[in-house]
Amino acid sequence: MPTYEKILLKNMERPGYTGSLTDYGHAGGYSALEKVLKAMSPQDVIETIKKSGLRGRGGAGFPTGVKWSFIPKDHPGPKYLCCNADESEPGTFKDRQLIENDPHAILEGIAIACFAIGAQTAYIYIRGEFFSGAKILNEAIAEAYRAGFLGKNILASGFSLDIYLHRGAGAYICGEETALLESIEGKRGKPRSKPPFPATHGLYQRPTVVNNVETMMNVPHIINRGSEWFAAIGAGKSTGTRIFSVSGPVKRPGNYEVPLGITFREMIYEHAGGMRSDKQLKAIIPGGASAAFFTPDQLDVKMDFESVAAAGSMLGSGGVTVMDEDTCMVWAAMNLLEFFHHESCGKCTPCREGSAWLLQILQRIEAGEGRLDDLHALESLSHKIEGMTVCAFGDAEVAPILSTIKHFRAEYEAHIEERRCPFRSNVVLAMAH
Amino acid sequence: MDGMIKLTFNGQEIEVKKGTLLIEAAKVAGAELPHFCYHPKLKYDANCRMCIVEIAKIPKLQTACSTVAAEGMVVRSDIPRVQEAQNGVMAFILGNHPLDCPECDQGGECQLQDFAHRHSPTVGNFGEEKRVFEKEYFGPLIEKEMNRCVSCLRCVRYCDEVIDSNALGSIDRGSITEIGGFSHHPLDCEFCGGCIQICPVGALTSRASMYDYRTWQVKKTNTICTYCGDGCQLSLETIDDNVIRVSSELGIGRNEGDLCARGFFGYDFVNHKERLIRPQVLQKGRRMEVTWEWALNKAAVELKAIKEKYGPEAIGGIISSHCTNEEIYLFQKLMREVIGTPHVDSGARYGYINAARALSSVFGTTRLARYEDIVNADLILSFAGDMAETNPICAIKIKEAVRKKGARLIAIDSYNSGRDTYKSHLPHIAHRHLEVKMGTEGWVILGLLKVLDQKTSCGPLPSFETIERESGIGEAALREVAGLYAGAQRGVLILGRAITRNQNGYQNVLNLADLAIAAGQVGKDGAGILALAEENNELGAVEMGGVSEYLPGLIPAKAGGKTLVEMIDAAERGEIKALYIIGENPVRSLPQKKVKEAFQNLHLLICQELFLTETAELSDIVFSAVSFAEKDGRYTNQEGEIQKVRKAIEPVGGSKPDWMIFSLLADKLGSPFHYKNTDEIWKEVVLNMPPSWPALSKGAIASSVTSYMKRERKIIIPSDDSPPLQGGVRGGHLFDFQVGQSLYHSGKLSTYASGLNTIISKEAVFIHPDDAEPLGLVEGEIVNISLPVGAIQAPVAFSKRISRGTLFFPEHFSLEIKKGLPLTIDPSTHVPYGDRGVVTLSKISVAVSTKNLTIS
Ligand SMILES: Cc1cc2nc3c(=O)[nH]c(=O)nc-3n(C[C@H](O)[C@H](O)[C@H](O)COP(=O)(O)O)c2cc1C
Ligand code: SF4
Ligand code: SF4
Ligand code: SF4
Ligand code: FES
Repeated sequence: MPTYEKILLKNMERPGYTGSLTDYGHAGGYSALEKVLKAMSPQDVIETIKKSGLRGRGGAGFPTGVKWSFIPKDHPGPKYLCCNADESEPGTFKDRQLIENDPHAILEGIAIACFAIGAQTAYIYIRGEFFSGAKILNEAIAEAYRAGFLGKNILASGFSLDIYLHRGAGAYICGEETALLESIEGKRGKPRSKPPFPATHGLYQRPTVVNNVETMMNVPHIINRGSEWFAAIGAGKSTGTRIFSVSGPVKRPGNYEVPLGITFREMIYEHAGGMRSDKQLKAIIPGGASAAFFTPDQLDVKMDFESVAAAGSMLGSGGVTVMDEDTCMVWAAMNLLEFFHHESCGKCTPCREGSAWLLQILQRIEAGEGRLDDLHALESLSHKIEGMTVCAFGDAEVAPILSTIKHFRAEYEAHIEERRCPFRSNVVLAMAH
Repeated sequence: MDGMIKLTFNGQEIEVKKGTLLIEAAKVAGAELPHFCYHPKLKYDANCRMCIVEIAKIPKLQTACSTVAAEGMVVRSDIPRVQEAQNGVMAFILGNHPLDCPECDQGGECQLQDFAHRHSPTVGNFGEEKRVFEKEYFGPLIEKEMNRCVSCLRCVRYCDEVIDSNALGSIDRGSITEIGGFSHHPLDCEFCGGCIQICPVGALTSRASMYDYRTWQVKKTNTICTYCGDGCQLSLETIDDNVIRVSSELGIGRNEGDLCARGFFGYDFVNHKERLIRPQVLQKGRRMEVTWEWALNKAAVELKAIKEKYGPEAIGGIISSHCTNEEIYLFQKLMREVIGTPHVDSGARYGYINAARALSSVFGTTRLARYEDIVNADLILSFAGDMAETNPICAIKIKEAVRKKGARLIAIDSYNSGRDTYKSHLPHIAHRHLEVKMGTEGWVILGLLKVLDQKTSCGPLPSFETIERESGIGEAALREVAGLYAGAQRGVLILGRAITRNQNGYQNVLNLADLAIAAGQVGKDGAGILALAEENNELGAVEMGGVSEYLPGLIPAKAGGKTLVEMIDAAERGEIKALYIIGENPVRSLPQKKVKEAFQNLHLLICQELFLTETAELSDIVFSAVSFAEKDGRYTNQEGEIQKVRKAIEPVGGSKPDWMIFSLLADKLGSPFHYKNTDEIWKEVVLNMPPSWPALSKGAIASSVTSYMKRERKIIIPSDDSPPLQGGVRGGHLFDFQVGQSLYHSGKLSTYASGLNTIISKEAVFIHPDDAEPLGLVEGEIVNISLPVGAIQAPVAFSKRISRGTLFFPEHFSLEIKKGLPLTIDPSTHVPYGDRGVVTLSKISVAVSTKNLTIS
């Protein structure tokens, strides 16, 4: 099995590493912040991040340095940075590990980013269910204040920063950056129509950067080791490593940090140990619940932003969900739609109305009550949602449907023709409902 | 042209102002884009996705309501790609919509019906079950039918952005999203009706007119609201001489389509079953209905007899400032020229005259600020903490200035800055709020003047220590506020009934004029002074000569004309023998005076009314008059805007417009007027006005100020033994007490409107919950209020707007309470002040049922 240098998971894999400030300090922590404050200008930092090619790890993969450079320079009044720790995408659980095991690394990244964009206030928006994560982050923030890495005049540089932890209340949509901003503002977490973008009209209508936890954590390493070093890892425009959360019937589910650009085959069969009970792999969700399904013939697609997009899906949140031969694809799509239907915020028409219709049709097919024109209905409803919504949730909720119909049409037809789910006995189905 | 940009819309090159949204630009190209959530009054939300267009070089379709037109943009809405997408969204909206148009009140004026015709796919994809919500009555006046809702949130945004009431929100998520109040409590809001009007579909409709009409059956008449001085334009919608409902049109009128509860729900007094429909006379103690001929003859004969025996000065006339300009003009003409008496007065005497007289004596006019000035001001100095209740639309202008345009509001009043959950309150959004002890605004004005006018050209002013002792406001706050006011680019000063209807009112307005002059906030663009009028035509009443001191056009009348209170006193003394009262009800308004006894001294009391009021009941002759819905004419609002009142229905029963009754009476008195309609009267009015009328030039205002400054002026220091200031330290059981106006009513008239009565129909005394708690009071419990004279019992209601140590009592139901309050008369204007006093509140020892009542 090929092995790679770990960057983000390195500290926490040291024996006895607790993530405390002392441990983080021993591992060289806050040296990047010191370097930035003593020797670099905000512009230098932005250029370094730009050159490194770092791209957002939250979903869209937007170049981080470019995002920072959109923040207006001489804008009077406050600017903000919000670190997105809402991690709620089904099948994604990497941020949680980072938060719980190396919180200071995130804080250091945030501090550097704030220095770069000229923000003196940052919020970490953490998923409500991350109870211990919130506790750990709060303790780390307190430690960092005490040690002078946060607060007024950090390391006598004249730069000041306050970080606040804001706990979510359980809505998946609050991970969407504008819904996240609304939520911090104390409003209902509903996405805003874009443009304008947060870079100019963000939190309290002020210039704001929203970045994922993992994105933030990469920053100190790039400062310490240079943009060339970082850019040399990975493949093409997808630089650096990424932590993939592999789940499903594999032998070793878990988080794996690898350079961008290895194949799904390597990830599933080498790192994750292959399929449990040596079952046949049937489908892969390559990047969290919002990504279109892959099939076994796509195992050699490379795990970088470009290759996955070219193959018709997205690297998204880094959640790799594996399904084996026993998994019903209609059931899988229905299961995801149950999630999306439950989480649709209800702001815009196509998603609000469409999610309910889609789910009802899928439930009917899965229950053996499908009609042949249902497949057309599913596709045409999906096309009415795609590209028509306020936020990317709309595209996300139709991805599983459109891709399972595309790859597994025969399975849908079998449900309809046999008037039952071929993967389950009716008894099981009755119990499931 | 400067500030314009060019773009191409559906192949047509168009030019629009910079900053125009594409949905508005489309109109220039002759295209109406389908839309639900967009509304020009509101910030865009782009949630319905109906207005999508294709913009060249942008791969995804964009919402036109949220996209600002840019130079060179190439936009299309007429291509299959866009139309298919629109049909797709429409299919989603219709998917869950019930097919209940036949029983929906919105039918015929529903945007969903309209757009569905144009943008519906012919085949539906939906074979599943519809989502169903139970119908709910959303408070007493609004029906909520969420199956019809398209989730555009216009209602929520209107209630928040325009009204600042925040009574509505979206509840739940996804396909079960619905509109509601927090935790499904009954709606307890300002009841402005705005959400009903702005809802594009029939999801929110008025219960007051439920199932009474189809829109194509109603006749719409644009007219002006008859309640307050804001002067809102509204449409009376009528079927067969019945007013069915009220509506207003976005952007139209001084109110730009916004209304308050009184305007929207307060219409059905017009067709009230107790309306007087024929003249009545009191014959040997018995009241009987008679013909017009009979009643007019009787009135003329008796008036002539009194005039002959006692002279014309034994006759007096009082007219309501709810009447039109033409009517007030004609009334004073009848009294002064036909009968020959100088004793003419009107409802403006209850307070507005203080403002009208003081401002016009300083500036030569009262027209010193318009609503546009408020909206565009950078600073608003308000002496009207209750404006959202007394003059709600003017308050909307302030909310717009403060919340949308960033103006700073300085509020000086005796209200708390706290607000009740679902009601707006101006002190709450003030940049600076000076909460003064009740009745001490006058001291604060002197304090501000002292800061700005160091030369104290007005004579010696009290020390800051005295001012602080009296009002509770210290020198630092006074300096700060005066500095902000004087430093503003466009400072607008607003004064309400706290100034005009309370002790020292006339002098206080004069002092405010001095303050505005000292601050440099008059005579420059955008700055000015606005005196709020409680009744719709108070300024008109003064300008038309409906007060003893002025002939039409603010021309000073010869001395000797008696004011309202003087007429009552003269009647009591037997000097005045006959009174002709139009729409006023002094028996009720001035309980401290022995009005009833005075009137019983009269030889002749003639009353002209809609209802058999307390005063009408005493009258020898009652003429049945018509309401604003049944007549033409003009009202002048508090800004000085002269607006047309239009007849919507024929007079109810055998009633007649006031101006016609005056003409008929003039005939009988032998001096016929010969007016065929109100336009002919108005022509005569305009000819009688000074050439500078209505608006005075800046130059003329400036020279008026110059000559005012040369006159000898004397500041009258409020004496600290004036009645409201008596008593010990507030707190415990001792309270400052104020009788005032509620948002949901206007005088007594509105209590005949069933819609408004469903909101409030009973008296109550409002107290701050923190004052109620130590007294162990529960909301709704009956308490005893000991007045300077006597006592009354009333239920308590809690409001966080009430200043600690004060109580508030709405004036619309029983005015018995005023009997116990001291009455003082303004030495200059004879305005009767009797709305304040010091009282003791105590629990009634017998426990009253308190079930289902909670402390908020
Ligand atoms: C429905 C939805 C949910 C999202 N949830 C998350 C999330 O939980 N965590 C996250 O980092 N980004 C999430 N995103 C992406 C964010 O909107 C945003 O793009 C990201 O936080 C930006 O950070 P990055 O540039 O570092 O990737 C979500 C996006 C959508 C549309
Ligand atoms: S797409 Fe769905 S989640 Fe996103 S704004 Fe619209 S309704 Fe809300
Ligand atoms: S105040 Fe009441 S009536 Fe007015 S918009 Fe809000 S909820 Fe509707
Ligand atoms: S009730 Fe009417 S205005 Fe409010 S969201 Fe529904 S459709 Fe829109
Ligand atoms: S009108 Fe533009 S999205 Fe609703």
